[in-house]
Amino acid sequence: MDERLKKLAYVFKPRSVAIVGGSPVPNKIGNVLMKNFIDGRFMGKIYAVNPKYTEVLGVPCYPRVTDIPKLVDCVIIATPAETVPGIIEDCGKKGAKGVIVLSGGFEEVNRNDLADRVKELSVQYKLPIIGPNCLGVFNPYTRVDSIFLPMYKLQRPGPGNIAFVTQSGAVGSTVVDLAAHYGMGISKFISYGNGTALNECDMLEFLEKDEETEIIILYLEGVKDGRRLLGWMKKVNVKKPIIAMKAGKYGKAMAAARSHTGNIAGNYMAYKAAFRQAKVTEADSLEELFDFVKIFDQPLPKGNRVAVITNGGGMGVLTADAINDQGMEIADYSEASKEALKKILPSYGSVGNPLDLVADAGVDAYEKAIAVMMADQNIDSLAIVVLTQTPPIDERIIGVLTQACDERKKPIVTISVGGEYTEAYKRALESKGVPSYGSPLAAVKALRRLSDYAMWKRKLK
Amino acid sequence: MMRVDLSNMAMLDDFGLLESYGFKLLPYKLAASEDEAALAARKMGYPVALKVVSEEISHKSDIGGVKVKIRDEAALRLAYKEIMDNVKGHVADGILVQKMARKGIELIIGGKKDPQFGHMIVLGLGGIYVEIFRDVTARICPVTDDDVKEMVEELKSHPLLEGARGARPIDMKALRGMVLGVCRFIMKEDITEMDLNPVIFDENGGDIVDVRFTR
Repeated sequence: MDERLKKLAYVFKPRSVAIVGGSPVPNKIGNVLMKNFIDGRFMGKIYAVNPKYTEVLGVPCYPRVTDIPKLVDCVIIATPAETVPGIIEDCGKKGAKGVIVLSGGFEEVNRNDLADRVKELSVQYKLPIIGPNCLGVFNPYTRVDSIFLPMYKLQRPGPGNIAFVTQSGAVGSTVVDLAAHYGMGISKFISYGNGTALNECDMLEFLEKDEETEIIILYLEGVKDGRRLLGWMKKVNVKKPIIAMKAGKYGKAMAAARSHTGNIAGNYMAYKAAFRQAKVTEADSLEELFDFVKIFDQPLPKGNRVAVITNGGGMGVLTADAINDQGMEIADYSEASKEALKKILPSYGSVGNPLDLVADAGVDAYEKAIAVMMADQNIDSLAIVVLTQTPPIDERIIGVLTQACDERKKPIVTISVGGEYTEAYKRALESKGVPSYGSPLAAVKALRRLSDYAMWKRKLK
Repeated sequence: MMRVDLSNMAMLDDFGLLESYGFKLLPYKLAASEDEAALAARKMGYPVALKVVSEEISHKSDIGGVKVKIRDEAALRLAYKEIMDNVKGHVADGILVQKMARKGIELIIGGKKDPQFGHMIVLGLGGIYVEIFRDVTARICPVTDDDVKEMVEELKSHPLLEGARGARPIDMKALRGMVLGVCRFIMKEDITEMDLNPVIFDENGGDIVDVRFTR
């Protein structure tokens, strides 16, 4: 492993940070950053670096990084591009462990000279550098937070096991905001921008060994070395499932394609091919990204056979349609299960898949049906439709579904469609780690991805 | 762009190169006379096609320089005379006799060099509608047997290949061999773009009807 990747851990868990450009002036990026660390209750030491002040928001401020009297692990730079190489050099001399360059004005505006200098300094001082032109990192465990968007405008998610690696800061920040909104926890957010010194491959290599990360979201726009990416995706995806999304799919086809192959196979096709070869789960939209990532926290299914439980016939039928549409199978219950399920249903009900508990069904009926299905060897996963609008369903259903998930026997997706009330219920489920979907198709699509991944893992053995 | 057109003498080197990679193109023979053509056709078996070989004539079929689906020797001798009549006044190097391709499913096997991922391989439903249906799938080279299997399964026309409507499944082993061959070829020769289109498959194998590649 590159020396720099070993040091990268300090960027996520520094004993001290220095914010270059730290400022008391409200709404300046340097001010937002200071507040991130102060208000976010970062546990290490905080320093500001700015020749204009000796103190910023109660934190000591120094003219240069080299003037800080004590050790500095992580330096965050938010000053104009021209000043960045000099500051990185100071970081090297100071013995900092890592640097985040938020500033833009490098490759993206053809200042390759500045970018090359950043790259050189990174190698010379064995300094991991994230960026430039990025939002940097957020670690909810340590509250390192270089996202320069104020916390009152952009929520921060709590601790979890999903790492989010993104080239784009804009998309990255909205995903962070949404993750917090849905109560989804993350292990690390890494916006690497231009990826000048360290890029997506280095991040995968780092995350492969990161203890807090179990699932990885990879949001790509364009990469420099596709073969290296393919190699790392293959290696890491075996241990930690990767959900990837590629933006910019419809760029110009080959400038002067002279064959059918050249015409059809644009650059995106190569990405798609690489995702398939690495068995990485590809999301086509931000919605899918969330839909897919949350199911990968579930135990892997042994096969494609799905049982559906519902308290509304129509939603059950839609779910069965989705199961067929996605190439999954409608499970055939064992005889013992059929007997047991018969006892749960009212006298006029009949045992089938989907299992219609009917609208009179209360939380107890769900609990019993789930218990039967968890024990049935003919069932690999459960799709549980809950029409929250029916009178007998109350908030105890959240406890029942959470417990079923926590047992980690079989993967579960829950489906609830509705307005404000239902949305609040779904958020409550999500915050407990129960995957919840607003449509049967979205739920079953996600289940299919998990099933594909599980099948591939079984084949490897 | 090289198009390996055997009725252009200069292309015969490329033909040889392709053969050295194990690509079996349809049997062919350059004939200098009607009798030579008849002998060649007897050896390779009917049906055959006749094509005038000439540097001068670019649109050979437009002036009647090509005859296809010739089923027996009488038809061949007649076709030979007709072509010679049609191309009178042009310098011709001879007439190419080539075995007609089998009937079956038209596929495309292609390769290209992507700026980020390097050589990649494309498999899809071929023929003239390639760019309309775009029923294609790709992998980064080199590929494994399993990759090829998955590629076949990813095609929407997959059931056709497996033998829909009473037809027999196509020769998957031959298909796999050809895909792996294209991978080897484009990587070793550092080819920028390549099309085998169409390659016609039935249960006994596949015939490469047209090849193009660019270095």
